Amino acid sequence: MMKSLSRKAAVVAATAFGIILVSGITGVSLFAQDAIPEGFKKGDLAPEPPAEMIEAGKRVYFTKCVWCHGVDGAGDGPGADRLWPRPRNFNQGTFKIRHTASGELPLFDAKKPIPGQNDLFETVTNGLPGSAMPSWEGILTEEQRLQVLSFVTTQLVKDRKFTDKQSESQTILQLADLKPKSATDESKKRGSELIVEKKCIECHGVEGRGDGNAFNLKDDWGFSIQPADWHKCWNFRGSRQDAYNVRNIFRTFSTGVNGTPMPSFADSTSVDERWDIANFVNSLCERDPEGNPLPIDPLTDKPKINFVVQSNPVEGEIPADMENEAWQKAPKRYVAMGGQITHKPRNFVNRIDDIWVRSLYNDKSVVYLLEWDDRTKSVAEGKLPWAPTQVNLDIKEQDPKTGEEGSIAANQNKYTVYNDAIAIETPVKWQELPAPIKPRYLFGTNDQFPVDIVKWEADGSIRAFKGTGWDKDFEERDSYEENLKVLKSEWKNGRWYVMIQRPLGNKKDQDYDEDTLFEMGKYIPTVFFAWDGHNGDAGRKMAVSAFFYTYLQPSIPREVYIYPFVIAGGIVVLEAWVITRRANKKKGKAL
Amino acid sequence: MKALMSVGALVGVIGLLLLVGMILDVVPSNTVRLVEGYMPIQMLLEFTCFVAGFTGLSYMLGSMGMAVPRFWQGIGFWAFVLLYLKFRVYPPIPFSVRAMYGTVSLVAVFMWVSANEEDWKKFKQPIMNVLDAQSGKNKLLRYAYLVLLPILIGGFSFNAMKPKSEEPIELRTVHPAPPASTKVHGKSYTLQTSQNPYRVNLEGKFDQDYSNKLIVEQSMGRLMAPNANPWDEKSQGYLKYVREGGEIFFQNCHFCHGDNLNGRGLHAFAFNPIPANFTDPGTIAQLQETFIFWRVAKGGLGLPNEGFPWASVMPPWEQHLTVDEIWKVILFEYWHTGYYPRTWE
Repeated sequence: MMKSLSRKAAVVAATAFGIILVSGITGVSLFAQDAIPEGFKKGDLAPEPPAEMIEAGKRVYFTKCVWCHGVDGAGDGPGADRLWPRPRNFNQGTFKIRHTASGELPLFDAKKPIPGQNDLFETVTNGLPGSAMPSWEGILTEEQRLQVLSFVTTQLVKDRKFTDKQSESQTILQLADLKPKSATDESKKRGSELIVEKKCIECHGVEGRGDGNAFNLKDDWGFSIQPADWHKCWNFRGSRQDAYNVRNIFRTFSTGVNGTPMPSFADSTSVDERWDIANFVNSLCERDPEGNPLPIDPLTDKPKINFVVQSNPVEGEIPADMENEAWQKAPKRYVAMGGQITHKPRNFVNRIDDIWVRSLYNDKSVVYLLEWDDRTKSVAEGKLPWAPTQVNLDIKEQDPKTGEEGSIAANQNKYTVYNDAIAIETPVKWQELPAPIKPRYLFGTNDQFPVDIVKWEADGSIRAFKGTGWDKDFEERDSYEENLKVLKSEWKNGRWYVMIQRPLGNKKDQDYDEDTLFEMGKYIPTVFFAWDGHNGDAGRKMAVSAFFYTYLQPSIPREVYIYPFVIAGGIVVLEAWVITRRANKKKGKAL
Repeated sequence: MKALMSVGALVGVIGLLLLVGMILDVVPSNTVRLVEGYMPIQMLLEFTCFVAGFTGLSYMLGSMGMAVPRFWQGIGFWAFVLLYLKFRVYPPIPFSVRAMYGTVSLVAVFMWVSANEEDWKKFKQPIMNVLDAQSGKNKLLRYAYLVLLPILIGGFSFNAMKPKSEEPIELRTVHPAPPASTKVHGKSYTLQTSQNPYRVNLEGKFDQDYSNKLIVEQSMGRLMAPNANPWDEKSQGYLKYVREGGEIFFQNCHFCHGDNLNGRGLHAFAFNPIPANFTDPGTIAQLQETFIFWRVAKGGLGLPNEGFPWASVMPPWEQHLTVDEIWKVILFEYWHTGYYPRTWE
């Protein structure tokens, strides 16, 4: 109580000081605190939810929410410490996604589940992508969602009161009445200038990959947080299951994100400028080659996955230049990455959640072009804790301690720096893999069916390993390494671009028991691994993909050009036959 | 009658507009949401609505003197079925299955248009007219068909023959046959006779009836039974162990199996197929607790070769959890989904 009082006093004093300062400089009236930013309107506080809804909400809370958000809503449930971003601590009444001005409580009315007028309801309904908060739509009824929010806002928000007219106000962004400016080139260009002028790039980075100030930002509770990557709009917390909607960006930019260093720009930008910025930021989000939004899978809220990495044929040398036409034409696949949480050391807080893969091949080699966002270039500063081959079976894992010293959350961004790295794993004898063994080859099945791993690390090395099982160390394959080649490795503005070349192999002079044979027109199971050196990723603490397929696209065989004409000719004959028959029949009738 | 039909017509028009809008991406595809767990029923209901709508529509058009010929009705309906299956049903069904449904509905359409001699005549009349080419319009049509058909079919076969890279279909067995016994942390457990040591009443005795009364309710939302809060400080026995199991679940399992045990965890989007959904009546509700114990302890690696094909990156949890912890997690999973484990009786 004393704490919140003194905080309020400090806020009042600071505001007063600010007003004097501002009015002193600009000479505007002393009523500056009443000036409402453009696009906002004063609103009323919602009435207190009825007692029976609060009581019913308690039941929902202790069935579904308590596991992460904790008994007192302090964001310290049993699941909390293995999550990053951490679950919300409700006690202070600080909520990120709102239609209200910076610092204000979000909109919540237990009787009005209307989109755009009920921030907390929308958060529970849509979830917060990029965090562990799922969408509760279809799981909890609308009524239940309102009930649990009634409980949270009245019982677990402790430092503030949603109905206290003395201390709380609502200045609401009138998003429904504001018409988005069309995303013309001119508007986007102005936006691109404004993000420099408004210093957005200081945190979000020059290309908006969240790499500007990646390691010094803290939230209100002192936990390390990172600026958003504008190229992954489906991970925006406020994307509301509508990732490419420019309104979401406009809203976040106007209201700021409470509890984080992201301020509101409502006072320093006009509505028109905010649309320009939102249009530009929205245009950065990954799109398909035609510039259309990627299709989003409603089951996962992430881009839809195509599990076939199609490798296109090239005559002669495979170009090392990404801008080359062959690379521009090669289909780009979204490869979703999850934390490797099956074997120790487990990676609960996984920071590489997708990579983009393209591939080309010629008569000798296949090349993978891998691109992924990583906020920092990490090259190991000291000795690695484990050899890259080593499996760490008896490592001691941190006990979940919800934010205390030594916990995962407290360690975040303080790890010793290891190498960023990426690897491609393919089974050696994929043609012979018996069906039951097939899905088992993460790190290799056994001695009989090993996997072939090619790993690039940020120190410039490229190495080959053989994996024979999840509990076995990888074996170095020094003799194979001379066959591998890194055509390109570059870290630029928060993104890695790496091109790895490996031999296709052939049946004649290849040691078929050692290397994967890349056969044209066949589906070769492929898994991708990625390491973020600043996340303490090393050894088997990594990000893993599901099982993809590399498919060397054959050039079109000649028959494909011949048979369709034969078939079409056949149809013509058939038509002639039908028509003559019909005509004869009619004639017969007439006779 | 007329009023009823006009309502039907309205439903049909709105439905069609929505569907076309969704296909062309004008209307967001989540305008009419698919409710998790009720999808098949919802699809059937929607489909019934559409059929009723079409009936009304064709009646109204007929009474306004703009009757659609039987021929086009048949073709239109078949096209509708194909589009509906392709664009509305989610998750998408593979082409082979759609082809099957398409054939079945084609047969159904044929049965409908050939229900009696007169109908059949009406149906085939347009085809005959074009073949006979008595009028100028029909003559034109006939030549158009003569040219277009070979081109279209040739084009289709070219597309079909062109090398394509589609994900090969890999089937999986959902419930592989369990072994008779399993050895975990050095101790052998016979699956037929083992019991969850934490499914106990307040006296500490194994008591499934007691625990069954305390699981969450099987209504929408699946909330805890009143006065059965595992987080109550006073809770003892079964409920206390449920809470301990939940703590383990939310430190180890929810990353894949999800906060609501529906297989939609934080990392689930990266996996194929996505992890098991325990709220689905086809998973843990069908199985004995000891089966789950075996699957959790041994993971995907421990699956028997005979039961293939399957796909699982579930780790052998005996690496990370003690036997007690595994039993508690299982207790929690049944509590949270509101299912009773099957028994051997």
